[in-house]
Amino acid sequence: MSQEGTGHPRKRVVVTGMGAICALGHSVSSIWSAMVAGETGVETIISFDPAGFGTRFAAEVGDLPVNDLLGRKQARRMDRFTQFAVIAARQAVTQSGLDVSREPERVGVIIGSALSGFETFVTATETMLTAGPRRVSPFAVPMTIPNMAPGTVAIDVGAKGPAFAHSSAFASGAHAIGEGTRMIQDGRADAIVAGGAEAPILGLALAAFGAMGSLSRRNDEPRRAVRPFDAERDGCAMGEGAGVIVLEAREHALGRGAEILAEVTGYCTTADAFHEVQLAPGGDGIARAMSGAILDAGIEPSGIGYLNAHGTATVMNDAYETAAIRTAFGEAAPELAISSTKAMSGHLLGAAGGLEAIISIQALRDGILPPTINLETADPACDLDYIPGVARHQRVDAVMSNSMGFGGHNVSIIFAAGQ
Amino acid sequence: MTAQDQSRPGNGAPRRVVVTGTGAICPVGNTVADIWAAIAAGRSGIAPITLFDAERFETRFAGEVKGFDPATAVGRKESRRMDRFTQFSVAATREAVGAACLDVAGDATRIGVIVGTGMGGMATFEDGIETLLTSGPKRVSPFFVPMMLPNMASGIVSIDIGAKGPNFATVSACASSAHAIGEATMMIRNGYADVIIAGGGEAPVTRMGVSGFNAMGALSTRNDEPARASRPFDADRDGFVLAEGAAVLVLEDRERAVARNATILAEVIGYGTTDDANHMVQPGPGGEGAARAMNLALADAGIEPSAVDYINAHGTSTQLNEKLETHALRRVFGDLATTIPISSTKSMTGHLLGAAGSLESVIVIEAMKFGVMPPTINQERHDPECELDTIPNTAREGRIGIAMSNSMGFGGHNVSLVFADADRAAV
Repeated sequence: MSQEGTGHPRKRVVVTGMGAICALGHSVSSIWSAMVAGETGVETIISFDPAGFGTRFAAEVGDLPVNDLLGRKQARRMDRFTQFAVIAARQAVTQSGLDVSREPERVGVIIGSALSGFETFVTATETMLTAGPRRVSPFAVPMTIPNMAPGTVAIDVGAKGPAFAHSSAFASGAHAIGEGTRMIQDGRADAIVAGGAEAPILGLALAAFGAMGSLSRRNDEPRRAVRPFDAERDGCAMGEGAGVIVLEAREHALGRGAEILAEVTGYCTTADAFHEVQLAPGGDGIARAMSGAILDAGIEPSGIGYLNAHGTATVMNDAYETAAIRTAFGEAAPELAISSTKAMSGHLLGAAGGLEAIISIQALRDGILPPTINLETADPACDLDYIPGVARHQRVDAVMSNSMGFGGHNVSIIFAAGQ
Repeated sequence: MTAQDQSRPGNGAPRRVVVTGTGAICPVGNTVADIWAAIAAGRSGIAPITLFDAERFETRFAGEVKGFDPATAVGRKESRRMDRFTQFSVAATREAVGAACLDVAGDATRIGVIVGTGMGGMATFEDGIETLLTSGPKRVSPFFVPMMLPNMASGIVSIDIGAKGPNFATVSACASSAHAIGEATMMIRNGYADVIIAGGGEAPVTRMGVSGFNAMGALSTRNDEPARASRPFDADRDGFVLAEGAAVLVLEDRERAVARNATILAEVIGYGTTDDANHMVQPGPGGEGAARAMNLALADAGIEPSAVDYINAHGTSTQLNEKLETHALRRVFGDLATTIPISSTKSMTGHLLGAAGSLESVIVIEAMKFGVMPPTINQERHDPECELDTIPNTAREGRIGIAMSNSMGFGGHNVSLVFADADRAAV
């Protein structure tokens, strides 16, 4: 996706804050340390009894002190996915040092999710079915709907600019970041709090994704279950959490002396227009997204040093994504270091794009590329450098993060060092 | 990829965005022409609920689509893999793309889809919950996820027409499809796509839809007279009427439309969006956020408030909404607020939630085409807090050169869109 003749130069967009929460930790630094060490958050489920399910493990955040973090009354009015969004957004805004109250109309919030207030809706529906329609809570609808995450974050930080949710399955969080970037490039906002949040670890979601064959069934060894690009991969594990960043116009950030963490230099989004769950052959849609992002960034494919893949560890995804990377990167493909961190964080669904953008930025900043753990036997169909097992110390100039969602939605975003 | 895909930002003039096709399905008709005929005649589509047994529910009526056979509309096999909100969205898109004579295959990577929704596949979701409860995990369908996800309408529409450009769903409750149209307009204006199918689909007339909104006290409970229940601005209004359907616009770069001799129906000349940042369901005090959105849209269009000939209000028929909406209108239009014709077509169609904004945009475009301003029906007792010309009860002939359509969603999301008629779009 590229821009044609529009009459204004696009503003440069940087990242000035990041916040995250997932099974590996409740902050960006704790999550990053765990990933660099190759730890995994995928474990047998403890938040409910998974007996009777085909897959009995996931990457759970566990108990969060939400009453302390959010206030008891406020926390009770938020589904868990909104709680994650608010916590991560606060971290990001705090790190950025942005004073939203100076010009609140110029700050927006875009948060994506796929299943959104899933637990709230399940509980409310069960109430309706067992106790009758008149016993449904007045908070059921507001807590369920996807826009409650951006709406609540907007209230929490006082942002009065553009605000809505993105929904594109597992590309939701990535779309929020890409479209938030566009808003700033086109002068519609000075800052956007953007990312994704998801809290899907419930029986119904576990059953539903299991029924689709998306989840690994390696129940006896959960930590070794998610094996992206490995010959014995058999699917992913659900994860939960949030990844939220503060996107800001570069001039605006420099003007207030903010520390710049990275610059968003390329973004492209496409649709497969092929099938509601299967990928287009050869990964056509994500290949076009990667090529488009590279073009948008105005660099050569060889300018990208690390790619955080979508890498869900299903047989089909990883093979098609490999083919797509070869198409987009051509001769530069063998030199590209790639990993899927879903083996460590689990698949955060609509929040994956948000968390993985943050991981990609950390890789850029620290010069450490996170590994694909559990990659023990190479699959001939996945014959690129996937950083097996151990993190790699390597400085790179630019990183790319990919996300693909059911329905054929593809997003590719490029970050480079900010100055 | 073509050279066109690979261009970098240039320094040409900002691109104008026109409407070359519309499609819609709602409680008063299953095509744009049928819908317009009903609107112009002031007919209501609100009736007792038939989609499920509503006997135990506090509200037992809604705006249901009538005579819609999914198998005929979208194909038998395909329809079984789509929640109802997706079925509506696909059907409405087929009408719009047909009306636009749009050849998608010839330019697929520059054609995108943004179809929003407030709630996604509610019936699918409820059924899945029931299945798990009664039959256990192993009986949950593999189609559960791909049917209930909110983005599925947008995704399946892209598959149905073969559009390979940008694609996602905007979700902001009752502003979802208005956001879709606004964001699509920005995307085309700034050169990221050449055509976008933009709008929304919603199928919330389900057990949870009704009980959930009843629990909030948001729905009218006028069970004895459903067709008189949706009465925006009327003193006796007591809540909105839930409704279903879908509506989309084919938005196109004006130069491209002219080059292919497309019929240009209207132009999107202004878009403004803000957030109240006030409360999870109540709008911000004084209608401040909504007023800002309107002002942003007028500024974006480069016009004064006095240039607006007609406003299609959000007008949900709740006490609180119209009170605040009137405040907002006064902030923006001053004394003109009492004389600019403004109506809520939700009085006839009910509230389509995530599809409301796009349906109302379709209605506005028809109104401009025919020079007829739609009425607000059920105006019987004047509310002194709503000193407005609501075009009470009967449609009114009158040229509409410039129209505004407003949508405000739970969670504080405000969207204002400004349209210019075909004559203005032509120059």
